[in-house]
Amino acid sequence: MEFAELAVQKALSIGASEAEAYLQRARTTRVEYSKEIENLKTVESIGMNLRVALGKRTATYSTSILDESEISEAAAKAVKIAKVAPEDPHWKNVNKRFGKAPAEGYYDDTLEKLDYQEIVETLISAINRMKDYDKRVRPTRGFLTTSISKVSIANSYDEQSERKQTHIVVVMSTKAEENGMKSTGTEDQEARSWQAIDFEDLAIKAAEKAVKFLKAKSTSGGKMAVVFRNQIFANILGVILSGPINADWVQKGRSPLSNKLGNQIASENINLVDDGILRGGWHTKPFDDEGHPTQRTPVINDGILKSYIYDTYTALKDNVESTGNAQRSYYWMNPQPSPNNLILKTGETSPEEIIRGTKRGIYIEDTIGEWLSNPISGNLNATITHGYLVENGELAEPIKGVVVSGNFYEILKEGIEIIGNDLRNSAQNYSPTVKLAELTIAGKQDR
Amino acid sequence: MNEHELEKILDKAVDLGASYADVRHQCNDYEMITVENKALKSYSSRRLSGLGIRVAIKGAIGYASTSDLGQDSIEKTLRTSIKAARSVGGDKKPFGKTKVSKTDTKSPIKTDPIDVSPEEKVSLTLDANKAAWTGKEIKSTITRLALSKDSRLFLSSEGARIRVETALVGLGHESVAKTNGFMERVPYSESMCAGFEFIESKDWNSFTADISKLAIEAANSQTPPPGTYVVVVHPEVFGVVLHEAFGHASEGDLVFTGESVLHKKLGEKLASEVVTIIDEGTVEGGYFCPFDDEGTKKERTVVVENGIMKSYLHNRNSAQQFGVESTGNGRAQDFENIPIVRMTNTYLQPGKNKFEELIEDIDFGIYVMEKGWTGGQVSPGMGTFTFGVGPCRVIKKGELAEIVRGVVISGSILDTLKTVDAVGNDLNIMTSAFGACGKGGQRASVGLGGPHVRVLEMTVGGR
Repeated sequence: MEFAELAVQKALSIGASEAEAYLQRARTTRVEYSKEIENLKTVESIGMNLRVALGKRTATYSTSILDESEISEAAAKAVKIAKVAPEDPHWKNVNKRFGKAPAEGYYDDTLEKLDYQEIVETLISAINRMKDYDKRVRPTRGFLTTSISKVSIANSYDEQSERKQTHIVVVMSTKAEENGMKSTGTEDQEARSWQAIDFEDLAIKAAEKAVKFLKAKSTSGGKMAVVFRNQIFANILGVILSGPINADWVQKGRSPLSNKLGNQIASENINLVDDGILRGGWHTKPFDDEGHPTQRTPVINDGILKSYIYDTYTALKDNVESTGNAQRSYYWMNPQPSPNNLILKTGETSPEEIIRGTKRGIYIEDTIGEWLSNPISGNLNATITHGYLVENGELAEPIKGVVVSGNFYEILKEGIEIIGNDLRNSAQNYSPTVKLAELTIAGKQDR
Repeated sequence: MNEHELEKILDKAVDLGASYADVRHQCNDYEMITVENKALKSYSSRRLSGLGIRVAIKGAIGYASTSDLGQDSIEKTLRTSIKAARSVGGDKKPFGKTKVSKTDTKSPIKTDPIDVSPEEKVSLTLDANKAAWTGKEIKSTITRLALSKDSRLFLSSEGARIRVETALVGLGHESVAKTNGFMERVPYSESMCAGFEFIESKDWNSFTADISKLAIEAANSQTPPPGTYVVVVHPEVFGVVLHEAFGHASEGDLVFTGESVLHKKLGEKLASEVVTIIDEGTVEGGYFCPFDDEGTKKERTVVVENGIMKSYLHNRNSAQQFGVESTGNGRAQDFENIPIVRMTNTYLQPGKNKFEELIEDIDFGIYVMEKGWTGGQVSPGMGTFTFGVGPCRVIKKGELAEIVRGVVISGSILDTLKTVDAVGNDLNIMTSAFGACGKGGQRASVGLGGPHVRVLEMTVGGR
């Protein structure tokens, strides 16, 4: 018998009324470099999370030790904690609907065959591209991580479900220096298959960015049109909206989108979907971390809030079906609703046309600190590390060190003037380039 | 874990061609109890155990880890680490010298936090959460109790053998308040490297009630106009800024590659004279780091003295590159990670001023308080930082005035440290059982703090 099923049976045999086991095996390879390859490591990890219920009392125990005696001990400990836990009046049951949605592109068997030598050589050639691009450029610290993992889920209602998945993250990072002026340039990508990553392209773009920004300066503030590069806006979208559309936040009164289903919360050109079956998407999978099938859930349709995202627990509380969004950030965590792939639907305009149509404004290439934005109040704040002034439809001087701020919910209602046609992801968040009619830029000379 | 087995693995590594090898075995017990809106949301408990083997072959470093501690698995892990090192290739000297130690040490502990009955831990957390419902404006509350016990054994082919046991406990709380359509959240936590006795020693009900009161006050307040202000910063928040914006830049690996704004700055005056920055392994209130994960003793490193850059932080690899000795800053998140240069307890040394003296001649400024900061981000290459902080107080004509919310402080750390013109005489160092410092995909518990600090020019965003 598989460990996940064994754990469920052990828990049931000592008094649990329900049990659910989540088991993850992963092999991760990570190569780190600076001027040259620094090291290579591989991690073989296993871990199991066992959730038990005694009526309406629940508890979780996790362990990285997988043998029969530890599994018995895990079951005993989980049941012991559940016995003293107060009843959760909202508890009904663990997921009763197992199944697989037609997801594709979440597993790449190339990674199984890829040997260390090939990984190292690919990276060395990308590092050399950065060095060769310009003599002012030096590669700085970056890495490449590939992981292959297998997730097995079993519970007291159904047989074990399994999925195999792959994830790749690469960061190409450079620095340029000339006459005491310094600048950086970084490109990163998260993908599900080896072929999806064009290492040379990332390397050249990172080097090019560092050189261009040698002359970047701060600029004066004010209100102006702002164009966000797709990956940056995707990140912001995730920071602000992942929590508020989560049914758990809604039920707990934490979400500013509570009681707004069916309301116009955004302008009509805004369509947001959570898509668990997007081909090759960062969080694409056939079933979620409770074994429930994933799906495509419209969240905002033509500006109207259509749905929150649910796991089993929050769905049962609202008397709806789970949207297949149960997620465990780590194997030892309980499932929580979390976006699969959060996608702002594309428009018609190319990013080049967006810039051409902007008389005066700022183009944001990279930011830091955007994750400090407040999803509850909607306060958006980010420091622009790499940006350009836009003058008469063209990218003009590079700028840095100014802060962009605004209220995201107001932006949704009034502000996205143009939505581009170039979708890109920052992890599980997807957005095209967007242009906002007006945002506040706080420059150094203000006040 | 049988130590003798591990020693045999090191011998085998050398036989297979490694010029150096170390093995780290770790066992970690962790519990987190989460109460949301007066109900137990989850009680999760975890045991993590495994080992990692690091080898150097002609200077190339290979690493492999496993959580399967069977004999076959350990052998396979060793072979994988050797293969990894061979595929990296090259010919360099990876490690600087270090003093070889043999010792067992642990953080002070009276009551094992994992052994305390689940009933007691749940009821304490529930009570603290219930106490946070101080008014109808409170819409949501989360209280977490975190308890951990970590045991690390380090053995090297140079003969080192070090075991460090650390217990860390803490309680964290967040209240969300809504008034007149405005929502504001205030998160805060307190932790200590200690046993359950720390949890028993504090009144957590008034701790959470105070957070709620502040959240309500903040929801009722305005945001300040963006601009440049004189600010007085609480030790905890200044400690975070210092850690993120200066501490990381002082890490030898980032300096070596030129990624750090502190590249080639040793001996230069970078800050005002009242600024002295220390990184120290064992300090009251901080995280317990008597040794790093390369077996090097972590003592007191003076990074900046009276404004002058004195030392970078090093692990054995960066120390070798700089031709110095490791400062004991080679730390790994766990056995699945290679030690990289990390801070331990980084703090500003206190000065002479009382808090009142710091604010008395400020005509118009902002006092950044400790509760509610949500974190920050920096670009170590440029030294720029951005931090979201919690409710602040306006300083008017030398007195603390109304609360303002939604404040984001940002700037360039080297400019900021030059405009630090006074530091308080109070010293407050803290660690966290909830948050940890992230770098290179690894998290590590750290300590940070210092005294209250006055900065003459700080960019304040918000709207």
